[in-house]
Amino acid sequence: MATEGETKPEPARREGLFRTFLNATELDIRILGMVGALLVIWCGFDIYSGIGREGEGTGLLGGFFLTPRNLWTLLVQTTPIAVMTTGMVLVIVMRQIDLSVGSMLSMLAVTGAVVQVFILGPSLGVGHPVIWVAGVVTCLVAGTLVGIFNGVLTAYLQIPAFIVTLGGLIAYSGIAFLLASGVTIAPMDKTFDVFGGGIPESWIGPFWSWMLGAAACALIIYALYNGRQKRRKFKFPLRPMWAEVTLGAIGAVAVLGTTWVVNSYPWPFNLIKQYAEANNVTIPDGVENTDGNAICMSAGDVVRCTDGLIYYTGYAVPVLIALVVGAAMTFLSSRTKFGRYIFAIGGNPEAAELAGINTKWVTVKVFALMGFLVGLSSIIASARLDAATNALGQSNELYVIAAAVIGGTSLAGGVGTVYGAILGALTMQSIQSGMQLLNLPAAFQNIVVGTVLVIAVFVDQLYRRRVK
Amino acid sequence: MDAPAKDAPLVELRNISVSFGGIKAVDDVTVDLYPGEVVGLLGHNGAGKSTLIKVLSGAYRRDAGQIFINGKEVHINNPRDAKNLGIETIYQALALADNVDAAANLYLGRELKTSWGLLDDAAMEAEARRVMGRLNPNFKRFKEPAKSLSGGQRQSVAIARAILFNAKILIMDEPTAALGPQETQMVAELIHELKRQGLGIFLIDHDIHSVMKLCDRASVMKNGQLVGTVNVGEVSDDDILGMIILGKKPAKAA
Amino acid sequence: MFKTILLASVAVASLFTAADSAFAKGKTIAVSWKTFQEERWKTDEAAIKAVVEAAGDKYISTDAQGSAQKQAADIDSLISQKVDVIMVVAFDSDAILPSIKAINDAGIKAIAYDVQFEDPNALYITFDNVGVGRLMGKTMLASGKKAGNFAFIKGDKGDPNATFLFQGITEVLKPQMDAGKIKVACETFTDGWKPDGAQKEMEQCLTANNNKIDAVISENDGMASGVVAALTAQGLAGQVPVTGQDGDKAALNRVALGTQLVSVWKDSRALGKVAAEAAVALADGTKIDKVKGVTKFANGKNKVEMNAILLTPDPITKANLDDVIKAGWITKAEACAGVKAGTVAACK
Repeated sequence: MATEGETKPEPARREGLFRTFLNATELDIRILGMVGALLVIWCGFDIYSGIGREGEGTGLLGGFFLTPRNLWTLLVQTTPIAVMTTGMVLVIVMRQIDLSVGSMLSMLAVTGAVVQVFILGPSLGVGHPVIWVAGVVTCLVAGTLVGIFNGVLTAYLQIPAFIVTLGGLIAYSGIAFLLASGVTIAPMDKTFDVFGGGIPESWIGPFWSWMLGAAACALIIYALYNGRQKRRKFKFPLRPMWAEVTLGAIGAVAVLGTTWVVNSYPWPFNLIKQYAEANNVTIPDGVENTDGNAICMSAGDVVRCTDGLIYYTGYAVPVLIALVVGAAMTFLSSRTKFGRYIFAIGGNPEAAELAGINTKWVTVKVFALMGFLVGLSSIIASARLDAATNALGQSNELYVIAAAVIGGTSLAGGVGTVYGAILGALTMQSIQSGMQLLNLPAAFQNIVVGTVLVIAVFVDQLYRRRVK
Repeated sequence: MDAPAKDAPLVELRNISVSFGGIKAVDDVTVDLYPGEVVGLLGHNGAGKSTLIKVLSGAYRRDAGQIFINGKEVHINNPRDAKNLGIETIYQALALADNVDAAANLYLGRELKTSWGLLDDAAMEAEARRVMGRLNPNFKRFKEPAKSLSGGQRQSVAIARAILFNAKILIMDEPTAALGPQETQMVAELIHELKRQGLGIFLIDHDIHSVMKLCDRASVMKNGQLVGTVNVGEVSDDDILGMIILGKKPAKAA
Repeated sequence: MFKTILLASVAVASLFTAADSAFAKGKTIAVSWKTFQEERWKTDEAAIKAVVEAAGDKYISTDAQGSAQKQAADIDSLISQKVDVIMVVAFDSDAILPSIKAINDAGIKAIAYDVQFEDPNALYITFDNVGVGRLMGKTMLASGKKAGNFAFIKGDKGDPNATFLFQGITEVLKPQMDAGKIKVACETFTDGWKPDGAQKEMEQCLTANNNKIDAVISENDGMASGVVAALTAQGLAGQVPVTGQDGDKAALNRVALGTQLVSVWKDSRALGKVAAEAAVALADGTKIDKVKGVTKFANGKNKVEMNAILLTPDPITKANLDDVIKAGWITKAEACAGVKAGTVAACK
């Protein structure tokens, strides 16, 4: 059977074109389904937000959702949850749970802010480069340590993770409160704020965005090529060439399309103006056009115009962080021993132990990784807000777990993907942002998000049962 | 075969005791195993065979007694220790991780890695295909998670895992329990082959006939205690049955 | 017969208190705190203690550590110590009612401090939350924003204060709204008063309105920090006025920087002082409705009419930033961090 060359899927004709496509490309149908659902949601919001406001919206379908600005914002808004959910997938796959991530985020964000604003700020002077480094290191190290603590209690003292982290959920928010004494700590260090995506310094601009996009495409092509070479070397069946090309094309379109979108979002008018004034950039003369995104000089005033000075944002730093984390965690879960052990433990903890895996140590490492990611997320969240409070991040655990579950992670353990969870986070944030865009009441938003969670899991179960 | 002299057993479990909450599951049992030998462990359910053997494989810790490998005392505290000593176990409960594929199960805990330190899935799959091809040529489902495999397929994965790492001592806990006649025959042939290669095998089984067929010696346990060890060639089925049921050693046996 | 004796004994008791009040010494004022986990209660306590001790009375307190059961036990023990007045910061405003009844039955005066419980015999002392909302609206109008697209970022939908506040805000803005001058561009509750939630809401509000937002009414300072972060990302911070309340240090700094218009400040020391003065007066036998500043209040959950003292909070803007600095609530360095010299009077 392991013949050289391309496989010929014999029952293809009977199963239809779509099935052939899936078999050949080895794409996960559930992920395709999720992407499809996401696109439907996006289009729905765009159409809906345009109703009654014809001519105002610049979205693809006449609304306010499918605009570079909204999609760009959506990506930034998703990052804190997305970063955490990549860790939560592994925790859940290993048949554990971490309910403490929301409170932990508060605690870490407040700790980082205390270090920056109360401890180092006054002694080193505002803006000293040690401050932001210390803030980042504090959040990451403290996060990892708290994760290790959760993990040790779970693995070595055999207290169920549900209890350990439920305790953490309650206790860490208390610590956050004490540290912050109930008030907002602000402002953060300006360099630290680069992690938040709210200031021009954290937008890498179109040039570097295209460069990164191109590099990502090259990586995709290399990975496909490398995979094919490996299959050939070991004489495994190869994917048909058209399937390889299709996969490469899908990857490239996704990467370049996203890059194009973020590169189409111009800096807000005021920021271009402020930047030009601060850096003595000459503003060209032009004709005023209030719909334009560029700035011009007209009769001595700075005005909006279509053909003048304009900057585009490109990727925001937090989005890049989330993308890198997503890629790294996918890699970790599928290409390393550590990842393999997590899945094996989730599939059959006893078998994993008998196979000689140090399941306790793996458990500790997974919780430590979760803690590290919460630390990273706390940096993004507090930099984005330019402040930290004990309310920041609270109840995030629900969204992080929901994102993982919507993304196809099974609470029974053993099953889940990092990219699925990130898509889950994006889906949830899309629904929330879209409803906020429509100015629907908060209670209604909660109802919809809750319903989507249940439906997503139901559809997933249906699918699994049919596959069986 | 550079097997050690017949007087140095490959494995000796000496005066092993294990208790669970005051009940002695294994009570002062001594058994041994020589290279190229198959020793059957017999007894009713709850006689203590599985518990005894799990002491050797590192799944349980003994409360008393010593373990010797090649005449040297060793300490086995977990499955990793046992594996490092060349002891492989095929469990009754078919200990496979259900959600990963055959190759991943074969190499679980001892994955092949590329020069970058990453999982070398292709190499593992290739090796898995080779080993499984020898063991069970009909096996084709390399990409599917273990939970979708049949009992026989799972058993062949478990056996392949044990032999893949050049085990010196093999423990088989009812290896044919879930198998059809053809697959049972396959396992029997495999045991003969491994024996020829000089492995020592502990075989736990309910089925006296298969023990009589496959084993050189048989140790019988009852209520946690060793009834006795006999040379299979020197006793009849009825003798062994008597040992299992009555807990009496036949007078003529050594 | 029994009633007469009871009345007589009450009369005698009140005679004694009246006699004692001449000396105004040796009374005991007790406070049952719901928790000391929040730092602000320490500030309140210091203010109360100062007034009570200056009057020559004794101050004692208990800490319920965030438990309704513990608070009930605390109050039982205070009653058995025969104190004269018990101020209660209720952890649970319903579960506390039996304890309040026990206080009344023992002839002790009860004060509901900051947290309302609906017992007609008790005196309720708090800041006027509807008033906070009114102040937000008034300050906004006074700043010159009398028309345009307004965004309303409200607090948690489950918190009655969020609704009280909004009631006060709309009361003030209503004429302008009815005249079509103020348009509600966005209006939303924010789960848990979370600043990151407010930030997302503000971002979506700006997107939906192409940045055409003229003013933001945020119901507290924490959410205002999220609103200002969203405005900053669009280069609008400082151009769009934002309200808040609580007197958060970060918010007062934003007021100085000009990115926030106002933080309505409820000085807990003033609250403590007024409450302590009322407690001393009650201990000295003053009738509850004769205590200075008492009005009728029936705006609670069950509309029970109570005697209440409602304090008016201070709207802190650039103009009166000095008040909070002088009061010692915030240092000048904290309030004025990053402020350009000469832009704010208080930062000179």
